[in-house]
Amino acid sequence: MIARMSTEENPAAEPAPVIDVQGDGRWMSQHNRFVQECKDAEPDVLFVGDSMVQLMQQYEVWREVFSPLHALNFGIGGDTTCNVLWRLQNGELENIRPRVVVLWVGTNNHEHTADQVAGGILAIAKLVLSRLPKSKMIVLGLLPRGEFPNPLREKNAAVNNLLRASLPQLGPVQFIDVGGSFVHSDGAISSRDMFDFLHLTASAYRTISMTLHELLLQMLEEMPQERRALLV
Amino acid sequence: MSADSNPAASPSPCQDIQGDGRWMTLHNRFVSDSKGKEPDVLFVGDSLVQLLHEFEVWRKLFSPLHALNFGVSGDATQHVLWRLINGELDYISPKVVVVWVGTNNHGNTPEQICGGIMAIVSVIHQKLPHAHTLVLGLLPRGKSPNPLRERNASVNALVQAEVASLSHVSFLDVDPGFIHSDGSILHQDMYDYLHLTQQAYQKVCQPLYERIKSLLDKQAP
Repeated sequence: MIARMSTEENPAAEPAPVIDVQGDGRWMSQHNRFVQECKDAEPDVLFVGDSMVQLMQQYEVWREVFSPLHALNFGIGGDTTCNVLWRLQNGELENIRPRVVVLWVGTNNHEHTADQVAGGILAIAKLVLSRLPKSKMIVLGLLPRGEFPNPLREKNAAVNNLLRASLPQLGPVQFIDVGGSFVHSDGAISSRDMFDFLHLTASAYRTISMTLHELLLQMLEEMPQERRALLV
Repeated sequence: MSADSNPAASPSPCQDIQGDGRWMTLHNRFVSDSKGKEPDVLFVGDSLVQLLHEFEVWRKLFSPLHALNFGVSGDATQHVLWRLINGELDYISPKVVVVWVGTNNHGNTPEQICGGIMAIVSVIHQKLPHAHTLVLGLLPRGKSPNPLRERNASVNALVQAEVASLSHVSFLDVDPGFIHSDGSILHQDMYDYLHLTQQAYQKVCQPLYERIKSLLDKQAP
């Protein structure tokens, strides 16, 4: 199903920057900073995506668990698959050779169907794997959102199902869904896990970081570290 | 400027265009949470208020003051106004209300934004005649100088002037000097040139805490 959808048909796979309507150019400032970081740093792990990625870096867990893995964080709040695609095509994959790329995006694609969103995520994964042929990827499933069951939960679950089926065909890509523990038996999500029923609290980030960290360690151990000289 | 002619002072809920009803859920939670609590301090505003709750500094400085946090990311003055009129002040009697909102009022003039903030101040005074309202200045934003910084600075000047003559309101500029000599704001302070890092919240919150404490001490128990 996904393979049929080409870029021309899928708006979620069309690279697009965020236009500065507010007037302070913040999105482009962040993108430019990430491009500069690519010139200065040699990350082993690259995180890219929306606020789910960006906010993770603001909590202690980032410093404790991911910084030691030499990880860079290229998350921007509000980003859709189109925005992440644009950023990765315009400098955010230059000059770096991360061994693992962690991708988490899709929950902000409000204009697109589940099929289109999954297609957008696949397009990003294909781009990353083609630019970084020796890298592996972890794609995180979209989390449930909203305090009670609602159409966006269904949509995000549908995206996850499509990804689960199609990602492995792309190559060294692992899909993980860390959202299961957040929905209680009555269908409610607690504000202790998502303070606004979308974004994670510090303790929820800790919970998902355990799984993510384990998988990252596993992947990094499986891959012989290339000597830097060979990368020039 | 009447409420009719000022959209920033015209109470409006946020419409659920995304489909998960989160804004109304949060509002309803704030109302129901307030029924069981007796906060001495209420923080109300946008994401700068909401995110404050998620960092250690909240637990260290503001929880001990018995503070509640009614921040909602993305809120502009008209949204906060609606929330306060529609239940969020009905079951509590905090001694101090901290208001921090205005930076999301895109398309409004500084005069309109000031009008929106003053409308909020007025509603708080009507519902809680014994409370003191502390309005926080809007922070600068964006990596480099830009029109929003000018707009926010103008709002601050206007609000500061308006509250000068009111005994139940005061204004506090919480910017510890985020703008460097070259005009830039560092991502170590604002990771997206709008929202504060933990280290930036520490810098903002210490003087804020002192001011709140002194206001609480002044108020008769």
